[in-house]
Amino acid sequence: MFVTLIVIAVIVAVVLFVIVGAYNKLVALDQRADQSFADIDVQLKQRQDLIPNLVETVKGYASHERGTLDAVTSARAAAAGATSVNDKVQAENMLTGALGRLFAVAEAYPDLKANTNYLELQRELSDIENKLAAARRFFNNAVSEFNAVRRQFPTVLFAAMVGFGSDKPFFDLGEGDRAAMTAAPPKVSFTA
Amino acid sequence: MGAVGLQTHIWANNTRSVLLLAGFPVLMIFIIYGVQLILMGFGFLPATGRGLGDDMALAALWLGGTIPLAFIVAGVWFAISYFGSQAMIDTMTGARKVERKSEPDLYNLLENLAISRGLRTPTLRVIDNDSLNAYATGLHEGQYSVTVTRGLVNTLSRDELEAVLAHELTHVINKDVRTMVIASIFAGIISVIAELVFRGLVHSRGGGRRDNKNAMPLILIGLAFAAVGFALAIVIRMMLSRTREFVADAGAVELTKNPDAMISALRKIEGRSSLKGPDELQQLFLDNQPNGVGLEGLFATHPPIQKRVEALVRFGGGVDPGVLSRDPATWETSVPMTG
Repeated sequence: MFVTLIVIAVIVAVVLFVIVGAYNKLVALDQRADQSFADIDVQLKQRQDLIPNLVETVKGYASHERGTLDAVTSARAAAAGATSVNDKVQAENMLTGALGRLFAVAEAYPDLKANTNYLELQRELSDIENKLAAARRFFNNAVSEFNAVRRQFPTVLFAAMVGFGSDKPFFDLGEGDRAAMTAAPPKVSFTA
Repeated sequence: MGAVGLQTHIWANNTRSVLLLAGFPVLMIFIIYGVQLILMGFGFLPATGRGLGDDMALAALWLGGTIPLAFIVAGVWFAISYFGSQAMIDTMTGARKVERKSEPDLYNLLENLAISRGLRTPTLRVIDNDSLNAYATGLHEGQYSVTVTRGLVNTLSRDELEAVLAHELTHVINKDVRTMVIASIFAGIISVIAELVFRGLVHSRGGGRRDNKNAMPLILIGLAFAAVGFALAIVIRMMLSRTREFVADAGAVELTKNPDAMISALRKIEGRSSLKGPDELQQLFLDNQPNGVGLEGLFATHPPIQKRVEALVRFGGGVDPGVLSRDPATWETSVPMTG
């Protein structure tokens, strides 16, 4: 009788130990992923801050490229207003696309391309893009690690009970575009 | 559970380090037991006069007294060598302290990394030497220092240099210098005991006061214990050093968020890292490969570059450019970055 009690107590203690260990591991990985998303956020914020300046500079040389400029401005506003990870990813991908079109349009204006302010902004933006790429890769790594540990046995048995029921979303470059494309097929328009 | 990413890779290696470090006291007990058996065999210690098993049991009984004694001796030894080691490291390398004014770029890289982890910036030192290497020293706050060679500063790109500094800073954050000093003191104590035993064997001609009918088996078993303990002490020390390198590589990626820079820095120093220093210092180097071939895998302080790169590719998501040619002119200057 007494021996049985001890055996049960030991088993319960071991199970509790495993659960606590696995839970703490999940918390640490979750925290780490959130932290690395904050690193992405810093870069995104810096990029957003550069955009009004860029739009003003381009306006000085190519004021009639209204459509492109407005697209950048509204994409920036959407990105600044986004709160959830998914919204942010989508808005930032829109902004990246709009910026790409702006730089393509600017190719047609030699005076603009020679403007030092414009060159400086372009250099800063590409620097941010590089840092953003690194931060995004790190974040995706952290997310995949969290997801993998979460799905490991025996963690998967109780992960849902302690609030880790679902995988974390990746910062996927293609996904935002794909979602937009399924929602509305791309329109081809020749009036910029 | 195996490692699935950078953090779990770090955890796994930290657990391994703790287990390895815990192995040293066990080895000490092992060796003390061996020494007792040998002394008993030679008749310096009293035996039961009965069978071999009884003699060995008696020796095991003595451990209750000899282990505390051994650990007190070890403690005193520790205190002395611990404080001596830093002074020794400082005097044995011709490292020159540099300030922000003389090396602003290098200093800023280190300072930014230290700030991002809330650390006091370690002292930055440069060795005017063409080899590509770096190391961190210091046993406690205020003493921490990161040293790089001039060759490293001249050869690596900014990102790669940052990765190397982050690697060394991770050694500082993880207090690896302390761990490795402890490991080498343990290994030192164990090898001194082993040496005493072997010297004693050569000089003594069975000069004990008592005769022991189990003399030969006792001496042989004791020797086996001492020899295995001695060999394991060295192997454990090296394994410990190698796990710390893996953790520092991973930590560098954590700090810089750029596995590619760490990988290409490793690829560049590959085969060009030879730097002279005492053993205690070499185990702290960024890279240190034994010259000989053979059992080097077991007795190397650092994992081969190839293995370190593989770990970074697997857990950090990096891209490996492959082994670089020995001509720096053919290297790309910047690290390609992909999403």
